[in-house]
Amino acid sequence: MTEPAPAPLAPAPDLRQLFVGMLQVALSAFGGGLSAWSQRIVVEQKRWMSDEEFLTGLTVARLFPGPNQINMAVYIGANFRGLPGALAALAGMLLVPFTLLMALGLLYFSVHTLPAVDRVLAGVVAAAAGMALSMGFKILGEYRKDPVALGLAALVFVALAFGHLRLVPVVLVSGPIAMAWYWPRRPVEP
Amino acid sequence: MSPVLLLTASCRAVHLGDLGNLARVIWQFLSLSLFSLGGGNTLLAEYHHLSVDKFCWLTSSQFADLYALAEAAPGPSSMIVGLLGLGAGWPEGPFWALLSGYGAELAILLPSTLVMVMACLSWRHFEHSPWRMAFERGMGPITLGILFAVGLKIVRTADVTRAGQLSVPGVIVSLVVCVLMLRTRISPLWFMAIAGVLGAAGLINR
Repeated sequence: MTEPAPAPLAPAPDLRQLFVGMLQVALSAFGGGLSAWSQRIVVEQKRWMSDEEFLTGLTVARLFPGPNQINMAVYIGANFRGLPGALAALAGMLLVPFTLLMALGLLYFSVHTLPAVDRVLAGVVAAAAGMALSMGFKILGEYRKDPVALGLAALVFVALAFGHLRLVPVVLVSGPIAMAWYWPRRPVEP
Repeated sequence: MSPVLLLTASCRAVHLGDLGNLARVIWQFLSLSLFSLGGGNTLLAEYHHLSVDKFCWLTSSQFADLYALAEAAPGPSSMIVGLLGLGAGWPEGPFWALLSGYGAELAILLPSTLVMVMACLSWRHFEHSPWRMAFERGMGPITLGILFAVGLKIVRTADVTRAGQLSVPGVIVSLVVCVLMLRTRISPLWFMAIAGVLGAAGLINR
């Protein structure tokens, strides 16, 4: 025996199990770490998929439009039960946090004009803006050695921030140009 | 107080009635869904444009508040769309507000979910396709540019005083939080809590 055989995967979950499993992920992740929890529960506890399948899912989730964590739930559901599975997983993932957020929202619109609430929010909003500002810097390092990418990013930035152009036309114009530039020059190894 | 009232008054909402309003909310988010590159935060500036400049659902500072709320609450922060829908329906009363909130969230998620399902079912066919490679590598720099524009837009939305000027203490807090987000692994909830206390003490004005 060189290494232990990987534990066998569990049978494919049905719609109810997908819903409950994603609900469990959402509840465990209160306070953060949604994707770590989803891996722990889906791969380690329930053994629905292998680590490799899960990582493929992350690649697909990041590639396609939509929030990454939500796309990941769609991937897990669709993998086992197609569209109904995706919807069940999505519902499980969103039901509790979204309902809570709607309750918070109703509370906000009822009290936000109170001066004390407004003062606290003025501070919270400044911190949240700092988080938004950090998003670009976080991935900037990946493009350090690619001047074309940096130039493209700078053009998109200037068009949006100073040219007052809207996102949809900017993406529709810059997208095909970027894809043409990055088209693989050698045939891709299968 | 009055400058805020003036600012809101300058934005004229076209009133469509409750059902018309709901339909408009849903249509707007449906048509943006497939442009949520790189995880969805790339759409924040578009959300601001829709809800503040174009349809007057919210004031600019309400938008900043809702963004902070969505970041602080548990769950994916992309759920801010539900809060924007809630704000759009608020003048029609809590019932329409909730309907509009749930409708907005379903609308932003539906198209991207359908594409994602198709992608999962046919991944084997195009995993090694040149289209996929070009898309993946090409969209990266575009996402980078959008994220910087979004960051700047949010700072300019959040850190302004009632008179419309940049709030210096607010900008300082944003810059400090930005650096801490990049250099440490402290939970951002702490930054928001501490900044909230500073705000309550009157140190960050708007």
